Amino acid sequence: MTRILELRVLPPLAIGRLGAAAEPMDNYTAEPDPDEPLAPRVLVPAPTLRVDPDSGEIVDDKAPEQLRFTDGHGKVKPVAPFLEVWALTDDDRKLHPLTVDLLRANKLEPKDVRWCVRVGNHKIERRTYNLDDRIDADTGWFSDHGEHGLNGECANFLTGKTLPLGHARYIKPTTKYPGIRLRFTPAAGNVYGSGGTVGDHDPNVVDALYDATKGTWRGHVDEPGDPRLTIPGQIYAGDDEQRGWVSRGYLDDECDGLVHVELTVDGRKLKAYGRIGAGPPAYAPDSIPVRTIADELDQALYGPKARREDTAEDAHKVAEEVLRRALESVRLMNTAVMNGNTVDGRVDAASTMVRQDSADTGRTFEPIMAPSLVDTAAVFALHQNVLAALRSGTAPWFADVLRDHDEVGDLSAKGRRKMPALMRGADGRSLALTRRQVDLVRKAARQEIFRQENLRHDRGADESGGPA
Amino acid sequence: MRSRVHRHMASVLPELFDDEPAAMACLSVAGPLDAEEKEPVLPPEFNWRDYTTMLLHVAAEIEHSLMVQYLFAAYSMGGPQVPEGLRDKVRGWQEVILGIAKEEMGHLVTVQNLLTSLGAPINLDREDYPWGSDFYPFPFTLRRLTRESLAAYVVAESPAKWTDDIAERVKKDAEVAVGQEVNRVGELYGRIDKILSNREHIPDELFHAETLPYQASWDEWGRGYTRGERGQEAGNVPDVKSPELLVFGVFSRDSARKALHEVGEQGEAVDVDEQAETSHFKRFLGIYLELEKLPRAEQDKVSRPIAENPVTAHRLNESVMVQLGAKTVTTSPITDPFTALWGHLFNLRYRMLLTDISHAFRLSGPLDNGGVLTGRGALVHRAFAEMYNLRALAGRLVELPLDKDHPDGPRAGPPFEMPYSLELPDRDHDRWLLQRDLVQASRLLTDQLLETNPDCARDPYVVALRESDRRALEQIEHILSRKGCTG
Repeated sequence: MTRILELRVLPPLAIGRLGAAAEPMDNYTAEPDPDEPLAPRVLVPAPTLRVDPDSGEIVDDKAPEQLRFTDGHGKVKPVAPFLEVWALTDDDRKLHPLTVDLLRANKLEPKDVRWCVRVGNHKIERRTYNLDDRIDADTGWFSDHGEHGLNGECANFLTGKTLPLGHARYIKPTTKYPGIRLRFTPAAGNVYGSGGTVGDHDPNVVDALYDATKGTWRGHVDEPGDPRLTIPGQIYAGDDEQRGWVSRGYLDDECDGLVHVELTVDGRKLKAYGRIGAGPPAYAPDSIPVRTIADELDQALYGPKARREDTAEDAHKVAEEVLRRALESVRLMNTAVMNGNTVDGRVDAASTMVRQDSADTGRTFEPIMAPSLVDTAAVFALHQNVLAALRSGTAPWFADVLRDHDEVGDLSAKGRRKMPALMRGADGRSLALTRRQVDLVRKAARQEIFRQENLRHDRGADESGGPA
Repeated sequence: MRSRVHRHMASVLPELFDDEPAAMACLSVAGPLDAEEKEPVLPPEFNWRDYTTMLLHVAAEIEHSLMVQYLFAAYSMGGPQVPEGLRDKVRGWQEVILGIAKEEMGHLVTVQNLLTSLGAPINLDREDYPWGSDFYPFPFTLRRLTRESLAAYVVAESPAKWTDDIAERVKKDAEVAVGQEVNRVGELYGRIDKILSNREHIPDELFHAETLPYQASWDEWGRGYTRGERGQEAGNVPDVKSPELLVFGVFSRDSARKALHEVGEQGEAVDVDEQAETSHFKRFLGIYLELEKLPRAEQDKVSRPIAENPVTAHRLNESVMVQLGAKTVTTSPITDPFTALWGHLFNLRYRMLLTDISHAFRLSGPLDNGGVLTGRGALVHRAFAEMYNLRALAGRLVELPLDKDHPDGPRAGPPFEMPYSLELPDRDHDRWLLQRDLVQASRLLTDQLLETNPDCARDPYVVALRESDRRALEQIEHILSRKGCTG
């Protein structure tokens, strides 16, 4: 018998994206165009699980013919991830998808699977340090297949008001789709306000939830010098007044939290959980940042150094991918402004890398690169050329100018010009690639010169762009 | 160029003209070069400013030529024949030589700044091979890296008084490579500095500070390499220090002399400190001494089997003697038609690089904090893009066969052939027309590559280069449609 020993929720972290449309976003991949390798990635529709809104069953998994990010009426389709339950079984001690058959082999039914989703939005409490400003939602335990709203409650909300943080649904398994899975559908992506004053009208907000007579969020000002504050500050909507950056009292419907699953097998209660979160939609879905969670996980899994198992070809592909993503990032930046160039004679025209460097150090406000070099079109073209040269199989010579993880606070001219340039991490300092990314690029740089591709021209080269 | 410069050389190197007709004798008052108290003598047909310009033109050619030869040697290094145990060393040596070549590029643009400051035309020209000049340390020859070719570089960059046992060994090796005694390159800067230090010769008002916005700046050309002091980078070769790229703006006599002094310090000064780690001499010598320790068979495996002086097909069957008693230096025609196309593409991109640099000198940089953007930044980026292309193309050429009848024979290597002209049109609009011509020529060449070998359609570099050229054309058309760039 295949006995269930342990449960897992996979993926262990799923990130949804806000959207007000009724229909969730279809699945797709973003792939480089082999005919135009310097162009943005092409979005390719991928098989998508479609859920019947009445029954909660999956009805098909076709790839859509055409991708649409909105519903045609100005509403963004939310990205609603599925979380699957996998089971460790005693026959081979490997993970298998938990299915109706596997449940039955353990004398269980889908209704024996119990779910509970708990999410929170603690942004306000993070600034006011008042527990009454915490917003939390809890579905309680459920085994049915209906939608369970994630309604955020908060002691400082107006009476009867909750913050809609989306909903969770236990997908009803069928013969064709027998897997046990839950779907998290994030909220609409609205902005809510703080009421309590007669005559308030703010066109930015869809509703007032927060009671400004109970809590201090509207009108809140961060205490200067508070070491607990994040750098850069001003991450809430506000107005610049004499007493500081004054909160308008807005709150949004992003959240993150845990999806718990529970199953009792032979009298043993098995538990597992996965993490979910919701953020804004991807407005540049054909672009990938130079450093992503996937890179962090890669480093967590394989360590900060290139391993013996990482071949020169793997390393070269990482180098090319870093370059491609840098190109995609440049496409979305006003590099001249980010650099701190003057704009129509004005200095400090926007929130830039230069301002972040200056904010807490008293450093002179000064452009990072030579002002003549940062025209976006020219920088973009340069990145394209570097990518093109790399595709020849040439060793990545830029390894030496990559910023190391312990150089993010180097505010010297040379330190600030390292790559990736003009981009900051969450702490307001220059961004660095992961140590593993950097080491792989350097590995590629070390090994390429000993390569030989005999008669390369007789057989062309591989499609991946790396050396064959 | 050589013959035109040659007849004025006696003013700098009189000892080379000892057996020349008496008419040259009057110039011998310049005295031997290591006699510091001797003053430079103005040769006929010049005044001091013009003479300085000529010497700076010679200096530019030398920097350019050395850079290209060092690059060729560095590109030749590597290949699957390098023994596993030697690879870290070879990678490090390659990095050192590439670093020196980058520093030569800094010298080259600094010399252009000196010329610009004096109101003289810049010079990015150099002779094609085979070429020998009295001033030049050795006949211009593209050689793969060997102990002997390396010895020639050590001697060329050596201090004036270098006479120990090692010196004897290295000089002997250098002569094997070059076929003649190798000159030092340091003399020239000493001579120019002597002239510049004299107010009588070059009055203060001849240094034009207002040309600074047109000169190359370290901020634009430095690319993150250390300025002023060589730093240890956590780079891909841990023990190799990053190059120290020197690019000096010239706006006065002092700044001009400082520029010359710093450039000289880095390798070519007459009295360079033999122990200075920063000198090219010291770095080349370090590699030589390590290479020398290896068994001969291993020494030969450090670089790929690349032909000497590869040239593209339009010079097939040429074989020319280098003059001035040098050993016979022949070119190696690339007869493999496919390789030849890559060679032509290399030459064209080399021309594009030189054109971009030259074009950038015609446009001023922003005069304030950056409120006004010019085409200059775009051209600097294009110049770097071509350096990357040259590196990529050299990577191909060191793997491709030279001779169509001997596919397993010597590899080709990058030809570095000079364009027929480096002159730029006077009007900026016309300069962008030239830029368009060059990109279109690249397009024609990649078309030919595809015709010769349809498999190239799957070559990731060819695909990307064609796309890059298409995008460059769009940008150039955009500039042209506005009737000129930015002045």
